[in-house]
Amino acid sequence: MKFLRNLILSFVFAGALSLTTSANADCKVHLGDFDWDSANIHTAIAGYIIEKGYGCEVESTKGSTTPIMAALFDQQIDIITEVWRDNLVQLIEDNLAKGTIVELGVNTPSSTQGFYVDKPTADKYNLKSVDDMKSAEIAKLFADPEAPGKGRMTSCISGWTCYTINLVKHKVYGLDKYYTNFDPGSGGALDAAIAGGFKKGKPVFSYYWTPTGLMGKVDLVKLEEPAYDQACWDEMTTVVEDIKKNGPDVYKPTCACEYVNMSLTKAASTKFANNAANKPIIDFIKNYSIPTADVNKSLAFYMDESGGDMEETAKNFLSSNSMWESWVPSDVASKVKASL
Amino acid sequence: MKKYKKFIKPFVLSILFIFFIIISYRSAKPRYKPENFTDIFNDFSWLGNWPKWLDFPLMQPLNSGFDWLIVKYGLFFEGINNFLLGLYTSMKNSLVGLPWPIVIAIVIFITYFASGRKTNTTVMVAFCTFFLGFLSPRYWDKCIMTTCIVLIGMLLCIVVGIPIGIAMARNKKVRNALLPILDLMQTIPSFCYLIPGILLFGLGAVPAIIAIFVYAVPPLIRLTDLGIRLVDKEVIEASEAFGANKRQTLLGVQIPLALPNIMQGINQCTMMSLAMVVIASMIGTRGIGDEVLLGLQQLNVGMATEAGIAIVLLAIIFDRITQSYGEKIQERTQPKKEIKF
Repeated sequence: MKFLRNLILSFVFAGALSLTTSANADCKVHLGDFDWDSANIHTAIAGYIIEKGYGCEVESTKGSTTPIMAALFDQQIDIITEVWRDNLVQLIEDNLAKGTIVELGVNTPSSTQGFYVDKPTADKYNLKSVDDMKSAEIAKLFADPEAPGKGRMTSCISGWTCYTINLVKHKVYGLDKYYTNFDPGSGGALDAAIAGGFKKGKPVFSYYWTPTGLMGKVDLVKLEEPAYDQACWDEMTTVVEDIKKNGPDVYKPTCACEYVNMSLTKAASTKFANNAANKPIIDFIKNYSIPTADVNKSLAFYMDESGGDMEETAKNFLSSNSMWESWVPSDVASKVKASL
Repeated sequence: MKKYKKFIKPFVLSILFIFFIIISYRSAKPRYKPENFTDIFNDFSWLGNWPKWLDFPLMQPLNSGFDWLIVKYGLFFEGINNFLLGLYTSMKNSLVGLPWPIVIAIVIFITYFASGRKTNTTVMVAFCTFFLGFLSPRYWDKCIMTTCIVLIGMLLCIVVGIPIGIAMARNKKVRNALLPILDLMQTIPSFCYLIPGILLFGLGAVPAIIAIFVYAVPPLIRLTDLGIRLVDKEVIEASEAFGANKRQTLLGVQIPLALPNIMQGINQCTMMSLAMVVIASMIGTRGIGDEVLLGLQQLNVGMATEAGIAIVLLAIIFDRITQSYGEKIQERTQPKKEIKF
């Protein structure tokens, strides 16, 4: 009997606790997230505002580019807060034409991608541009233990479009004779390869990008490439999309240039955007924009202070900045503030 | 005094528990804890959600310990890396360099003699081997890479695992100490040691071999241990009666009689190695696993399934060879017993 009494008491107790935390959930938002940290931060901040300010149930799904974008086109995911648009130009324009997605403007106004070398090595051997890399002696510094005689450039993972872009760039720049375009397999492995190189004091030659948390901790130098040119980029994109569809054998000599200093955008599925009930949330996402410097600050906080807690990082951003208050109506802003 | 002996262990554990709580409270950030220590006895709101000050600080020491390991023992890991990598590349290059019909012929030769001249098994394995390249010519070299990684991983497992299994079977204390470690190795998510593996060994084949070792050695150890303990007491007594010393009993009686079980362990070890090879492709290990990963990342279901079938074929080849070799040994050591299923 004692057991029964305790059981009932504990149910009552648990019930009382859950009453205090239940949220009003008459709407549901499914956010798409990617496997790199700046996307995680935007998802966490936007998710927090939608959950606390608009009282919606927020679900987020994390994955690599292709599956998450496919889920957005398929209307399974409602909103993505960081789209690397210029890497996916073809795909996005096709889907805009088909009417499966709606673009919601710029999120982070500038970002950089490129080929990086660690500073000590770059200084020692005077490496400034991709052309400086084209020598057997330099390639030996970055020796690929599994491909004798070649150096290794840690590239994107094969599910990201930039893997194919790097493949084409290697061929155009003539780097493919000296280096392998090495697929690290996952975003975490790419970070670990760079961090491991720095910890051991070994030369690092890798594709990387900003804004990222790791970039604040290691000293990487970006190699110069031919300057960005719209026509050149478009020509290259056609070849890249062709290779993605039909394999590396269909490579044609093309023009190649540096990654554009691109703005990261936001997108929503048409089904979600056209639903009148979701209009306040769409308006909020349209206003949502964080400058690169602040993204970097949040990334640094995430890496060093939050102890790996994304929600904590989102809360820190919301309580130490006020720019977000202009994205939402004042009643929503006060609700978010109250929850901090 | 004897009366209180059973209380010592719980007492020490509760002291340790209280000590842990004090550590967690002290190391929590000031903004997470109440202003005054006594507040937690007046304001009970922390009983609702797990309070942030009740957080055992394990992450920081682990991180700094790991950094220390890289800096201090970097050369040691470098040595292991170069050894395993040298083994892998020489094995891979010689096999990839051979014409494919010769590789198939070698596989047939090994199967035929390992299975005790069983034609059925040999034909089956030969067919599977041919089908690896037949599925897609691209797969042939990748399957060879995967096979090399699995073979080196297995070699490591056998060299380390069987002696440990024997030690466990002979000493209860060793067994009690090792069992939790084996449980840990089998259940800890593989990424917990794959990513640190990159920091220590760099991207590529070596962290995969280490991961295979961590993941696949426990069943081999367990089955070796079990096999040796299952040897009839009477048989051991008989051998001792004939004047065999401990070493002679082990090498002449226990291990031969436990061999079927040990072979089963090696068989399980191979299967688990193959499973790990696919996961290892996520840390840049070249092989048939990255075809599966690529197929999934490009949402190409056909490609992923095709590569998946190649892995199954590879598993069948490994399984048939090790199984039939185990059966052959069993027939030799227990000639009169006939096992019927």
